[in-house]
Amino acid sequence: MTRKTDNLIDALSRDLKAVTPLPQPWIRTLRWLGILIPYCIIAVLLLHFIGKLPSPLVDSQFLMEQSFAILTGITAAMAAFASTIPGRGRSYFAWPLIPLLGWLATLGQACFRNTSGGISLQHNLLCLPFIIILGTPPAIILWMMLRRGAPLTPSGTAALGALAAAGFGNFCVRLVHAEDVSLMLIVWHIGGIFLLTAATSAFGRFLLNWRSVKKVSA
Amino acid sequence: MIPPTPEALMQRAQGGDTAAYVQLLNEITPILRRVIRRQRAFLSSEDIEDLVQEVLLSLHAVRATYDSNRPFMPWLFAITRNRLVDGVRRYSRQGAREISFDETEVTFAAIAANTIQEDFGERRDLLRAIEDLPQTQRDAIEMLKLKEMSLKEASAASGMTTGALKVATHRAMTSLRKMFKNR
Repeated sequence: MTRKTDNLIDALSRDLKAVTPLPQPWIRTLRWLGILIPYCIIAVLLLHFIGKLPSPLVDSQFLMEQSFAILTGITAAMAAFASTIPGRGRSYFAWPLIPLLGWLATLGQACFRNTSGGISLQHNLLCLPFIIILGTPPAIILWMMLRRGAPLTPSGTAALGALAAAGFGNFCVRLVHAEDVSLMLIVWHIGGIFLLTAATSAFGRFLLNWRSVKKVSA
Repeated sequence: MIPPTPEALMQRAQGGDTAAYVQLLNEITPILRRVIRRQRAFLSSEDIEDLVQEVLLSLHAVRATYDSNRPFMPWLFAITRNRLVDGVRRYSRQGAREISFDETEVTFAAIAANTIQEDFGERRDLLRAIEDLPQTQRDAIEMLKLKEMSLKEASAASGMTTGALKVATHRAMTSLRKMFKNR
């Protein structure tokens, strides 16, 4: 029994490799953005060039909405990275709350202003390929980066990761998706984000677990 | 000389220093054992040791997440807490799927099917017979046959030469065979 533990210590130290300590969550977030921003610039420009899409209406409401969306993505990514470091408090779960509330408030306010023309919940599926092209890479890259941390709260980390990818993805999608019907946005985009976050959280244990961490570190 | 702190040892281990890593793991293992025993007093020693090993494996897997500017023990205890919770989840899952039953000593109810069992006799009788052996023979049997130690390990533990151990084992086996033949 104790002998087996001694043997385990021998085995672990025999195969010891030098590791680079993981950087602070904000540095890892910058690296994540550093990979994604060039990709998104190219993808958005290509989509505009190929699809001859109308440019979005850039007004103060659009700028506010976009700022809160990207801030939600950034703070959620930082929180997701922080959640994989043992010994940190749980306050990071609150980091994306303020920008998320700001994002919802901006959309809600615009929606309230735009109801005079009649409310339509109809949604064309044109934005679906945009969401896939612009939303999938942030999620996959983030998942690969999060796998290097400790899966202490897999559901929470997965939910934060999904929110981060959705925030960043939505920011990019709005650059190619010019429709400005805020109620439609709330229902389809934000509803979709919450659904995605909840679904990812439910599968958190499959996406992030100790078995895969041990494999990654082996 | 002041012994190195766990923080310093872990930092050196991250750099690939094997000696520092062995020292760190040897220092934290009794602490982990104590903490786990205190928090999971209902577990057997074997289960506690399994959890200690699980924590050590997890620590090894995520050693890159340790930040040398932060204290080591809260980092270690966060991993320990997490593995303990997972352990409880695993045990409750196992408990729901598995039914424990007393170990049966016979394979079939029919007497004819249990001839092998009768030839070897009861385990308790065998242990009693071993107790009746002379000290050297008893030690040799216990180390080599019951604890399944290698000749080298048994020699190091008892101070006997490997040749003496072989002779003692041979004599013990002959005595035991005779004892059971005479029954």
